[in-house]
Amino acid sequence: MHLKRREFLRLCARAGLYAGLGVGLSGCLEKTKEAPQNTTLPSGLHPVKGTYIDGTSTGDAETLNWALAADNASLNYIGLTMDGLITYDNSLNVQLRWLAEPVRVSEDGLTYTLVLRDDLYWGDGKPLTSDDFVYTFKNLLFSDWLPFNYKDDYQETVNGKKLYVDVVAVDRQTYQFRRQTVYPEFIYRVTDFWAYPKHIAQKYEGNLDAFTQADELNNLRYTGNLGPYRFVEWVRSDKFVVERNPDYYLGKENGAPFFEQYVVKIFGTPAARQAALEAGDITSTTIDPLQVSKFKGMKGINVYTNPTSGYDVLLWNFRKNGWEGFRKKEVRQAFAESIGKDALIQSIYLGFADPAFSFIPRPSPWFVETGLKRFGVGALYNKEEAKKKLEAAGYKQKEGLLLDNSGNPLKLSIITNSGNKVRESIAFLVKQELSDIGVEVELKSLPWPTMLNQYLKNKAPGDKASGFNNGPDAVSEKSWDMCVIGFNTDVNAPSGTSSFFASDGGLNMSGYSNPDVDELFRKARSKEALDTSVRKGIFAGLSALISEELPADFLAFPQSNIGISAKVKGIEPGISMGYNSQLWYFEE
Amino acid sequence: MAGKKASMGEYIARRLIYSLVIAWGILTITFFLLRLGPGSPADKYLANIAASGRVRDIAQVQAAIEARYGLDKPLYLQYVDYISNLLHGNLGWSLSTSLPVTELLSKHWIYSFELILLSTVFAVLIGVGIGIYSAVKQGTKADYAVTFFSFLGISIPNFWLGIMLILIFSVKLGLFKTYYDTSLPLFSLENLKAMTLPVITLGSGMLAGYSRYVRSATLDNLRKDFVRTARAKGLPERTVILKHVFRNAMLPVITIIMLDLSGVVFGGAYLTEIIFGIPGLGRISFNAIFADDYAVVVAVTLIGAMVTLIFNLLTDIAYTFLDPRVRYV
Repeated sequence: MHLKRREFLRLCARAGLYAGLGVGLSGCLEKTKEAPQNTTLPSGLHPVKGTYIDGTSTGDAETLNWALAADNASLNYIGLTMDGLITYDNSLNVQLRWLAEPVRVSEDGLTYTLVLRDDLYWGDGKPLTSDDFVYTFKNLLFSDWLPFNYKDDYQETVNGKKLYVDVVAVDRQTYQFRRQTVYPEFIYRVTDFWAYPKHIAQKYEGNLDAFTQADELNNLRYTGNLGPYRFVEWVRSDKFVVERNPDYYLGKENGAPFFEQYVVKIFGTPAARQAALEAGDITSTTIDPLQVSKFKGMKGINVYTNPTSGYDVLLWNFRKNGWEGFRKKEVRQAFAESIGKDALIQSIYLGFADPAFSFIPRPSPWFVETGLKRFGVGALYNKEEAKKKLEAAGYKQKEGLLLDNSGNPLKLSIITNSGNKVRESIAFLVKQELSDIGVEVELKSLPWPTMLNQYLKNKAPGDKASGFNNGPDAVSEKSWDMCVIGFNTDVNAPSGTSSFFASDGGLNMSGYSNPDVDELFRKARSKEALDTSVRKGIFAGLSALISEELPADFLAFPQSNIGISAKVKGIEPGISMGYNSQLWYFEE
Repeated sequence: MAGKKASMGEYIARRLIYSLVIAWGILTITFFLLRLGPGSPADKYLANIAASGRVRDIAQVQAAIEARYGLDKPLYLQYVDYISNLLHGNLGWSLSTSLPVTELLSKHWIYSFELILLSTVFAVLIGVGIGIYSAVKQGTKADYAVTFFSFLGISIPNFWLGIMLILIFSVKLGLFKTYYDTSLPLFSLENLKAMTLPVITLGSGMLAGYSRYVRSATLDNLRKDFVRTARAKGLPERTVILKHVFRNAMLPVITIIMLDLSGVVFGGAYLTEIIFGIPGLGRISFNAIFADDYAVVVAVTLIGAMVTLIFNLLTDIAYTFLDPRVRYV
C-alpha cells in the first residue's frame, strides 16, 4: 500500500499552493515559499537522444482513461503525456505547469481561482480552456453515471446534505471552485487531475460503457502539446511507449524533453528488474535494500535514496473481538515501549527507513518534532518499564509469562498480508519482542482479500453489509489482536489520516475512538485552520497526542532506493524525484 | 475406408458436443465461484485509495467500483447478461487492461504459443532422442548419466533456472538481453535468439520428463514379441528401433506432449513468462486473477477448457494414425 515517489505525487499531491509558515495576505491565504515558479523550465540546451527505459513500475496500468483510474501505474502513464496544473519540487514548493499563476484563495476561504496558460492545446489543435475543466468536473466527475473514485474530495455537507462544490468558468483561461463551507486543505484538491477535451468527451456523456470503451479516450491521442511525450503504444503486461513531443509547451525555449523515447517496461520480479539494470538493458529501476550496496559499488549506476510518505504500522484491535487490554493506553504504551524501532529499521529495512512516532513524515511541511513521544527508541525502549506499566494496568507476570484477566498466559494473534516479506518480518520481530515481556504471539499471514474481508471489515448486528468501520459495536468475521499494515499520509494535507484514526473514519478498521483526536482532526479542517500557522499548531498537537495515545504503534517510514544509469544527468534526488524529468538527459 | 471416415466424423461431432457442454459447465462454475469468493474488484482499488490517505467516504468508492464492474446487479442478471453477450461473440471488456477481452487474448496468445511450441519442439527433439538412447544403452554409464540429468531437469524449478540463465548468459556474458523484446517480429532470427533462454528454461523440465517417458516406453517395447520377430527377420537394429519400437513407444508420450501444448491457455508457461517479461496468456490470466478481472478469467477458463478438450480429441485422432489397431466407433 505504499506509494512510490511519482505515484504519491500523482495521487495525492497535484495540489494547490504549498502552505508556508506565514499567515496569508489579502486574496491569498496560503502562499508558497520563495521558490522559482518555473513556467519555461529554464535549463541548458541538451542533445535529444536515446530511449529512457524505466523499470521501476511494479505492475501494469489498468486504463489510460484517467477518470476511471484508481491505480498508480495508470496515473503515471497518463502523466507522461499530460503535465497537469502543477507539480512539486523536492522542498514541496509548487512548480507551475498548466497554470499561469499560483491558485488564488479568497479571504473567506470559499473561492479558489485558477488561471490557465494561453498556449495549451489538444491533439486536434483546439485550445485547452477553462470550459474543458468546468465540463470535466461538472458533467463527468460529479455525475451520477461516472464512478469517479475521488468524488468525496469535491463534496461538502451543507444543512445536512452532501453537495458538490460549484465550478464556474470566469473567462477563457480562468475558472473557480466555489464552496459554501470552509475546508482549508481544499487548496490541495483543486489542482488534482487533468481535463478531458469537452468536444470529445461530450460524445460519450451519460453512457458509462461507451465512455469506458471509447477508443479516443483510451489512447491518449488527444493530449496535443500538454505533456513532454506523445503516446506510441501500450503492450499489456509488457511496456508502455511514448515518444518525445516536439510541440511540448514547456520545451519551446530549451527543446525539452531530451529523450527520443520513454518506455515503461514491466517486469514480473525484482530480481529480473535488477538483472536488467545490471546488464544495462534498462535505464532505471527500484533497488531492494539488500541489493543497494552491490549496486552502489557498480560503475555506471547511481543509487538514489529518497524519503517516502508511506509508513508501516502495528494496529491494535479495539473492537469487541480483540484483546480488551488494548483499550488501556498504558498497555499500548507498554507494548510500544517493548518494540525496538532501531533494531527493526536495521534488521528489516537494512537502515533504509526513518522511525515513525506519528503519522506525519519528516518531509511534510506540517511535521513538528516537538512534543512527540518517541516510543520504541532511546529511553522509551525499555522492556522492564514496559513490564511495570503492564503490572500497573493490572496484568501480572508468572514464570515469565503475562497473565490475562482470567489468570491464563496471554496469547495474542498478529495478522499481516502474505507475500509482503517486510511486513511478515515485522510481525516476526514483534512476536520476538513481545515474548520478552511474557506475551505469546501467534503469526497469521493471510491473502490480502481474506485479511481485508474476513478480518478487517466489520459489521454490527443487523447490518446488511460489512464495511471498514461500521461503528463501535461492529466486529469482524474473524477475531484478531494486532495487524501489520501500511498506510500513507498526504504530506500536504495530512488530515486525510482521519480516515484511519477518527471515530467515524471510513477506514478505521481497528475501532479506535478518542474525542480529543476527533476534535483535532475536525479543527484541522475548520475555518480557523485557514491560518497556516494555526493549522501547523493543530497538526503539532495532533501528532503529539497520537504519539502518546498510540491508536497504533507507528513503526517506520521506509525510504525508496532507485538505481539509475550514470549517463542520465539533471536528476534532483528527494521526495519528489522526477518532478523535473523533462529536463533529464543522456550525457554526451 | 469410407466407413471408417464416417464413424470418425460422427465420433468427432459427438466429442465436440460433449466439449461444449463441459465448457458451459466450467464457465458457469467459474462465473459463480469468482463472484462468491472472498475477494472483490474493490479490494485492490481500496488498497490504492487507502494508500492515498485522502478518501473518507469508502462506501461511496466501493459502490462506484461495483457499479463499474456491474456487480450492483443481481447475480442471475449478471450471468444472463454474460451468456447473452457470449452468444453474440462478445467475451466482455477487460477492466484491468482496458481492452475487449477478445482483442486482449488475440494479441497475447501468440507469445505463449511461440514459447510453448518452441519449448515443446526443443524438448521433443532432444528428449525423445535421449530417451531412446538411454533405453538402448540401459545399465551403462551413459544411461546413468541421462537418468541423473533427467531427474535434475525435473527437479530444478523454472524460476531458479531462469534467473540463473539470465545472470550467467545475459548479465555476466552479455550474450542475450535480460528480457523478451516484443518489438521483434515473431519467429524472426532476432526473436528466436531472444527466445533461447526462455525456451531452455521451460523446455528443460519438459525435456527431462519426455526422456524418462520415452525411455520407459522404449524399454517396455524392446521386450515385446514383435521386436524379437523383427530382429529375427534380420532387420538392422536401427530399423528395429526407429520403425518398430519408436512408433509404439511414442503413443503414451503423444498424450503428454499434447497436454503440454494445451498449456498455452492455462498458463503452463506462467513462471517463465514472468521471469523473462513475456506478455503471454499465462501472465495475462494470472494478472487478471489478482485484479479480479472476471471477464478475462472466465474467458481464459472457457477457452482453456475448450483447447484442452480439443487437444485431447486430436490426441485420440493421432492415435489412429500411430496405431492402426485403434478404432473409434
